[in-house]
Amino acid sequence: MRDKYYNLIIGLAIIGLIIGSWGMFQRLFFGHLPMAYGSYVPWGLWVAFDLFFLGLTAGAFIITVLTYGYRIKWFASLGPISVFMVLVTLMCEGLIISMDLGHPLRIYRFLVTPNFKSMLTWLVIFILSMWAIYLTWFYLILKEYFIQWSQDKNRRGHKLYGWLARGKQTYTEADRERDRRLVRRLAIFSIPVGVLFFGLHGALFAVLLNRPLWNGAMTPLLFTVAALLSGGALISFLAYLFYPKEEILQPLGHIVLSLLVVFLFLEGMQFFVGYQSGITGVVTSLNLIAFGPFWWAFWIVHLLIGSVIPLFLLISRPRDVRAIAWACFLILLTFFAVRLNYLIPDLAVYKLEGLENTFFHKRLRTDYVPNLNEWLVSVWVISLGILTFFLGSRWLPVLPAGKGEEEHAC
Amino acid sequence: MGRDLPTEDPLVRMQRDLKRALQKKPEEIKWGMVIDIAKCIGCHACTVACVAENKLPPGVVYRTVIEEEIGSYPHVGRRFIPRPCMHCQNPPCTHVCPVTATWQTEQGVVIVDYKRCIGCRYCLVACPYAARTSDFGEWYTAGTPEASGMIIGRKTAAADYELHPSAEYGKQWPERGHGSPVGNARKCHFCLHRLKVGMLPACTTSCIGRATIFGDRTDPESLVFEMISSPRMFRLKEELGTKPSVYYLK
Repeated sequence: MRDKYYNLIIGLAIIGLIIGSWGMFQRLFFGHLPMAYGSYVPWGLWVAFDLFFLGLTAGAFIITVLTYGYRIKWFASLGPISVFMVLVTLMCEGLIISMDLGHPLRIYRFLVTPNFKSMLTWLVIFILSMWAIYLTWFYLILKEYFIQWSQDKNRRGHKLYGWLARGKQTYTEADRERDRRLVRRLAIFSIPVGVLFFGLHGALFAVLLNRPLWNGAMTPLLFTVAALLSGGALISFLAYLFYPKEEILQPLGHIVLSLLVVFLFLEGMQFFVGYQSGITGVVTSLNLIAFGPFWWAFWIVHLLIGSVIPLFLLISRPRDVRAIAWACFLILLTFFAVRLNYLIPDLAVYKLEGLENTFFHKRLRTDYVPNLNEWLVSVWVISLGILTFFLGSRWLPVLPAGKGEEEHAC
Repeated sequence: MGRDLPTEDPLVRMQRDLKRALQKKPEEIKWGMVIDIAKCIGCHACTVACVAENKLPPGVVYRTVIEEEIGSYPHVGRRFIPRPCMHCQNPPCTHVCPVTATWQTEQGVVIVDYKRCIGCRYCLVACPYAARTSDFGEWYTAGTPEASGMIIGRKTAAADYELHPSAEYGKQWPERGHGSPVGNARKCHFCLHRLKVGMLPACTTSCIGRATIFGDRTDPESLVFEMISSPRMFRLKEELGTKPSVYYLK
């Protein structure tokens, strides 16, 4: 990646952190008072971002499945950078969802008094499992380079690398072989964990019997495909930034294209079945998505920019790495609209007829629009994520660790 | 015609039923409520009484009165449906709470432990009756100017109402700030703190039409039991299988 682009991204991330600080200040000092969500739309922008971030972690999952499940070597070099990306997105997810909690300091309650009947408990268990798997994996992949870099006394931060290498000064062939074996085992273990993890996002919504748009067996499937699509788009875009090779980008482009087609098919089915069922709650929610005040988020942002243009690029120019990268970037950029469009419309329907005329307060309305403070907090978290990722890509040996990995992947 | 006129105020009978129920072992009591919508005049006294009793802040409401219009002009009617927490016997809200901060007591009342709730609001999303609200930390006196002398300013006004501790769950909840119940999910609890000392829930005593009947639904002699047996009885969203402990009479 060229220095001028790198510096531009770092600069934008710093500006984002500075601007977003105002939202963070509002949240930390005044709690939830300056935010727009209420009791009838209790989950808003931050939960949509939470789902968005959780979905992005699927990028590394795709690499894992392809490399270790299907023994496709080409993508193995993307392993370290995608694992690092998972850790950064999990960090962003943890940050933004803790902003959404009424009492974030009580997060330890998940461990002290868990309710195993709750899908949210299981989601937290799987998030912790993902942290454990990917953190260990990340360390094992980079260990050799931590030792090497700590020995280079001219390298800035060599003491830090020495600390990360836990004082180890040599890395033998036996160490390498043992770590590779562990990495392979972790990768294989991460496949079932990943499937359950991405399915659980959907299950969180699917089990709610009072939410007709969400309640159903298709929701976990839709969420899994959505996660794979957004994660796949992200990893393809990163591949373009760091390894712009046709042999990597081209198959990734095919995978993203297939996932996009499957996702659009499932989404189409949801609309078809929803309208055919005629259930008031479902039809009202679908109408809100397609013809409500934010119709443009669905038709223009999601369908036109995030689906039709990428489809055109991926089908018409399947060998052009720039076209593939652009298609993936557009999917990635617009996918947040998909998450928001899925989350809000079901919440934005009054659950009892007449409720809208009974007790007037801004927290007891369904017409939710995220306010500036919510956006600023999101900008802060995203900027921190971007900054961490790009600084990490320079300061951590994620790029050299990927080189030559494809020879050993299987 | 053909029916006996009431010889005593239903409140007196409910009070007697309550006294009898409290003689039983706690696990033998199952609290229930019946709301006769034919008697409800939509005065919202129950809502106001509940807000006052539990010191509810703006945007937090346990019992609303839904106003429903029936028919089309010129043949229209209007009915009122008070909606407390249904205290479902199969409550969807307790199943989803990730930290077991909400549960059903042995007497069938769904309660929230404010000190355990993390404020994820999953229970709000799961409740089919929108009976839970989140306390976002609002103040009635926010925006009220400070004033000195004879004019009542923000602090004085707040001291008269908002700084009074709420007695929910038999505890004295402290001054409103960042601590619980701010940040928590809140809901109707059948005024457990009043029941404990032999008083009926605030919504029941304040109902001027005696449309709200409360008592032990397992006691065959109680008024609430008698009402539940009525052919007019129905429950909200019964098809969901939540089995509410709040019954309605058409």
